Amino acid sequence: MELALQQKLVARLATDREFREKFFADPVRVAASEGLTVAAEGLAQLHQEQLRQFARLLRTRRLAQVSLRLPLTRKALGPRFVDCFRNYAVNPPPPGRRPSEDAIAFAEHLEDHAAAPGLEPAWALSLVRYEAARIEAEWHNRRLVVRCLPHAVRRLAELLTAGTVPEGSQRRPTLAVWWRASAASRLKHWLG
Amino acid sequence: MGRKTEITNLLANLPRLGAGLSYRRPFREELLQKQSEVDFIEIIGDGYLDAPPEKLDELALLAEHFTIVPHFTSLSLGSAEGLDERYLEKAGLLIKRLAPPWWSEHIGFTRAGGVSLGHPAPLPFTREAVDVITRNIITARRAIATPLILENVCSPLVWPGAEMDEPAFITEVLFNSGCGLLLDVTNIHTNATNLGGDPAAFLDQLPLDRVVQAHFSGGHESKGRLVDSRAQPVPEGVWKLLELAVARAPVRSICLERDDNLPPLPEMLWEVERARAIGRQHRRWN
Repeated sequence: MELALQQKLVARLATDREFREKFFADPVRVAASEGLTVAAEGLAQLHQEQLRQFARLLRTRRLAQVSLRLPLTRKALGPRFVDCFRNYAVNPPPPGRRPSEDAIAFAEHLEDHAAAPGLEPAWALSLVRYEAARIEAEWHNRRLVVRCLPHAVRRLAELLTAGTVPEGSQRRPTLAVWWRASAASRLKHWLG
Repeated sequence: MGRKTEITNLLANLPRLGAGLSYRRPFREELLQKQSEVDFIEIIGDGYLDAPPEKLDELALLAEHFTIVPHFTSLSLGSAEGLDERYLEKAGLLIKRLAPPWWSEHIGFTRAGGVSLGHPAPLPFTREAVDVITRNIITARRAIATPLILENVCSPLVWPGAEMDEPAFITEVLFNSGCGLLLDVTNIHTNATNLGGDPAAFLDQLPLDRVVQAHFSGGHESKGRLVDSRAQPVPEGVWKLLELAVARAPVRSICLERDDNLPPLPEMLWEVERARAIGRQHRRWN
């Protein structure tokens, strides 16, 4: 019964670019090092381009899930959102990670790389922080989440939702608060 | 009565839902205003497991207005390491809450060796894989009494060492497990375009009397290949295949999937209406 090992190998190949390239360099040895015996030679015939395409398909699906959770960030960054996600998704999501956690981790990646070209305009980072905080408040069972943001988040959200490109610096301090009285109570939000 | 006839009769007693779409949060308000244009909605069940109260409120609101069919992606019926019992339990609770006519998962695996793929990977077309998925389906069906239907997957990846072709593999899984088929015509169209083969001939090799629901969507082209991104309008090739499938199979519902690059809702509702008309034309519903 080697199917469990075969699936483990394929899952890793589809999500870990470094491992995939190592495998293609010497498939039989890598498959054997993963514990496969009888099936090692068979799996060595896995089609390189098919595996790469499958890896891209998985990334496309992850991107769609993360986009749904960061709609303002996606609108703010436009095509750069996809480029940034491609850089972020080089590594697989940690085991059991839900799309909401993937979205927060991507937001953190954007913050970490905020200094890099492509994250202009500056107000985009406020939207990244705002949407990540909302996900945290909704999905991580937090009783209180507070963010002080340097840009006019409400105005930016209205403009982007209407399909208008915000102009100017959009600087205006914003306080965003989410709270719930208990784990079972409904989330409240204040933005001012 | 033979087991095959018994199962076919069981599936024939499922309700005819008509044409619907896969629910996405951004069009919630507009969808509620246009509920008469949607016969049912499909939700991604995984998104409602461990959900906060607001998300469950959303589900309750939707359930007041629509028949909801839960569709799962991460139960991982094809995992050789077995099912995640906690996940199965939570999925069961959600299904109980919704009381749907059926629920669905994929003929594939999403979990292996601690890696979560988030999208179903294909199984090798082998006897061992048939046995593995059948065993897991039996476990799932023991836990959840609501009928389970299984979806054919889309994947550019083909395992080496196949002992049968894909239609034969799907047929074995359906017959061994006693499940209905969720026929994704876009997956067939995409696989045929990328890997070669005639999609109509592929359809003919499937046990079409098992089809309960159809999925359709539009992908995009990249480097001369189709990507099943569900991010574009439905192409004519998929419409033709859908029509062929509805003409031949006792489809009880058709669902449009759209994951990314969401257009204004009326554009999707136009596609839902076109699917409804196909169903009507072939007397699948009134």
